[in-house]
Amino acid sequence: MTNMVSGADWAALAPLGIVAVTALVVLLVDLAARDHAPRNASIAIGIAGTLVAAFVCARGYGVNYAAFGGAFVQGGFSTVFQEIVLIAVLGSLVLFAAIGKETRVAAGVALMLWSACGAMLMAGAASLMTIFLGLELLSLALYCLCGLSDRPTAREAALKYLILSSTASGFMLYGMALLFGASGSVQLAALVAPALAVSPLYWVGSGLFFVGIAFKLSLVPFHTWAPDVYEGAPLPVTAFMSVATKAGTLAVLARFIYAAVPSTIAEKLLLPIWVIAAISMIAGNVGMLAQHDLKRLIAFSGIAQVGYILTALAGGSALGLRYAIYYLVAYAVMNLGAFAIAATLSGDGEEGSRLANYRGLAKRRPLAAALMSVFLIAMAGLPPTAGFLGKILILSSSVSNGYAWLGGVLIVGTAISLYAYAKIVRAMYARDEHAHPHDAAPAVPLAWASAVICAVVVIVMTFYPLTPSNILPLVR
Amino acid sequence: MGDWLVLLTIALPLLAGATCYVLPRENPVVAKLFGAAVATLSLVLLILTRNQEWSVRWLSRPFVAAFHFGTTDISFWIAALLAVCTACAVLATNLPRQRDFIALLLMLEGTMLGLFLARDLLVFALFWDLMLLPVFFGLIGWGEHRATAWRYFIYNFAGGLALLLATAAFGVLNGSTDVIGTSAHLVGAWVPWIFAGFTVAFLVKTPVWPLHTWMPLTYADTPAPMVAVVSAVQSKAGLYGFIAICMAFMPDYLKAYAGILIVLGVISLLYGAFAALTQTDVKRIVAYSSLSHLGLIVVAIASFNAMALRGAMIYIIAHGLFSAALFLIIGFVEEREETRSLLRLGGIGKANPRLAGALCIAALAALGLPGLAGFAGEIVILTGVFSAGYVWPTILALIPIVLAAAYMLRLLQGVMNGPEREDLPVRRDLSWLEGLALIPLVLALVFVGVNPHALTTFDTAAYSAVATTLGGAR
Repeated sequence: MTNMVSGADWAALAPLGIVAVTALVVLLVDLAARDHAPRNASIAIGIAGTLVAAFVCARGYGVNYAAFGGAFVQGGFSTVFQEIVLIAVLGSLVLFAAIGKETRVAAGVALMLWSACGAMLMAGAASLMTIFLGLELLSLALYCLCGLSDRPTAREAALKYLILSSTASGFMLYGMALLFGASGSVQLAALVAPALAVSPLYWVGSGLFFVGIAFKLSLVPFHTWAPDVYEGAPLPVTAFMSVATKAGTLAVLARFIYAAVPSTIAEKLLLPIWVIAAISMIAGNVGMLAQHDLKRLIAFSGIAQVGYILTALAGGSALGLRYAIYYLVAYAVMNLGAFAIAATLSGDGEEGSRLANYRGLAKRRPLAAALMSVFLIAMAGLPPTAGFLGKILILSSSVSNGYAWLGGVLIVGTAISLYAYAKIVRAMYARDEHAHPHDAAPAVPLAWASAVICAVVVIVMTFYPLTPSNILPLVR
Repeated sequence: MGDWLVLLTIALPLLAGATCYVLPRENPVVAKLFGAAVATLSLVLLILTRNQEWSVRWLSRPFVAAFHFGTTDISFWIAALLAVCTACAVLATNLPRQRDFIALLLMLEGTMLGLFLARDLLVFALFWDLMLLPVFFGLIGWGEHRATAWRYFIYNFAGGLALLLATAAFGVLNGSTDVIGTSAHLVGAWVPWIFAGFTVAFLVKTPVWPLHTWMPLTYADTPAPMVAVVSAVQSKAGLYGFIAICMAFMPDYLKAYAGILIVLGVISLLYGAFAALTQTDVKRIVAYSSLSHLGLIVVAIASFNAMALRGAMIYIIAHGLFSAALFLIIGFVEEREETRSLLRLGGIGKANPRLAGALCIAALAALGLPGLAGFAGEIVILTGVFSAGYVWPTILALIPIVLAAAYMLRLLQGVMNGPEREDLPVRRDLSWLEGLALIPLVLALVFVGVNPHALTTFDTAAYSAVATTLGGAR
């Protein structure tokens, strides 16, 4: 290993660089403009930068390059997860068109882009240091984003997220220190050494590492922060959090599971993760039943959906990883779509995420109700949506990898979740209408476009189930 | 690929259902005629594309799956029944927001055509879940009680999830789900679980005691035109699944657990018949009678006998015809008198001779009068079950046939005969459009009654041996 940093190393980071610079441009334009940049200008710059980054990133898909001495991997798996993060950014940026004070939009856009940088770094991170760097970059920007609005709940959300997330980071960092102590290297690739299988430091270290990850993924029993933070944060931030943080953290976890566990002890060491996934699938879906706010509902739904994705990873097969990615993309698209609909329903300071607002929606806004139904149906895993096919693929992988019990839990969890999703559909199409008359909605073409695109993608994905094949090995 | 007309058969009602929303909202007749024309056209397409297939690859990994459609000898008749019932139900619809309701009926037809034409298990599972949605929306839009939509949806979706897990395991084990219409012994350690998954889904859908509790409520609450289609055809999805999946791929397990299925079937038979005797809600009487009749078909399938299977096929169609007719007629009665209670109804026949005549024929078919479709199915089933060596089930199955006469005649008498009630609203007899909704069903009841062989053209030897093709396209 040399200490030389070549041009190719920097090229591997180009997408991140583009995103970070775009954030700066947004801020500078905001500074230059008299009395803040117009809302749409900030959003447009953000979207343009993200699209360029996505294009540059996609060109690296076929490249298999370990940059910075193996600390950051370009291509394949990393590219896929980075693209998912960028999709999350696009889907969330457009929501700023409907929500938030005009004066703060530029700051929001910039922070979101930096946060995305962190998630993208996690997506490619192959060393413990880069993982932590990415995680902190992601989190630091998110703490500020959560407190972006004036509502007292936003402050509470930001503070809660700061404290709990820092604790989790502490766990993770301590775990990383122990892992380093056990292996003498910060590279994930060094953690597969067979000798580590009997090292207590390795066991404890990876255990603490998993605790940190479970916190960030809001898996039960480390999930209690998620509903409150999701509810308190502004809608675009919640949308971003629900997809980008999960994508980044899942990339780290998947890389760890597939590339940093000695094969002899994999089954034993990873069992707690599958158990946590199983508990999350049940508890997340049960938690959804009592919610009155779309954001809280999606927080619980996200807990369960991550459980589904982990089910695909159980057994460590390459196909399972591909199905996990398929489901993650589906999850991203249906979440962003649902949030886009919520954004189109918001107005006069309200965010349109109260489920009470959805009563009788079919009569007031048939298209919004229809699109929302598509997303809810997808989350529940009913056809003809990607949620349905994703579940089939995950089930088949769990069965063929010998984790049929996780598949069974998935089935039970899905059955529970149905009630929560169908309740909203029912409310939207119910005849008895003592709903908020909430019709003075702003025209938000961006959010509408986003919702329509998401709905189309969610349906088309069912019939053209593309999964990336160029994803292994995860460390090079 | 193959014949795209097959695909059109399924796509037509789905697209037409979506198109319905651009029809004029105020004019109920336009939507009616449009819907009936679409359903009739889909029947024509079905007949044109009999024994033809359309297929395009869907998945290659983790198992092969394809959007593969085409009727088999069994599914053809059920699909034809579906098209006829939908046409009749559309013609019989007189509801607020008529246009939207007819759109749902057409989508229901499309999703169920997808189910019965599916030659791939995964596609079958897809449409199995999909066909719940139109009924769910029908229940929340037009049902009477909040809870009903839930009960229907959650029971059936839970069954659908069991089906989904079983399908995934089937695919992994077999390497392909593109199998309906063929038969092969599935072997492997999971087969008992796969069988259990499919069976639970099919038993919930049919339904069979003790998984039937969603059914009387749903049937009573759903608007008559929709429940006519649900009871006539959707309930047959489970029976079709037993024949086309359990019997085709896991015959050993079906044989091994035949005892349990027969016991459940006989309990359904008796329970449904006795419950039907005690109900005062006319719709519930027919709902419980359905439970009883479908129990008989489960017994027939589980007895694993060529003759019984033929009978099951006849009775599947016969039950579809008379239960659709009964529900539609009850719908007409309810529209006129604003009640479904036997305690309040009475003497309607005098002012509504055509309605009374139709109810008479449907009820007689339901109680198994020779010459009508019900009898043909029952006698063949009972002969088959008896010759398969199940003596006691045959004897027990005779009891509900006697009871059927009792509850059907009670229904007929309570609604149509007796003194005219003073407090009931003004009556008018069937209009020509409403009559048109019943004529095809009545004619088909007579046709199947005198010519049941038309339905059993499939190769019964193949069924009883369950060795070669399962009624696939020849």
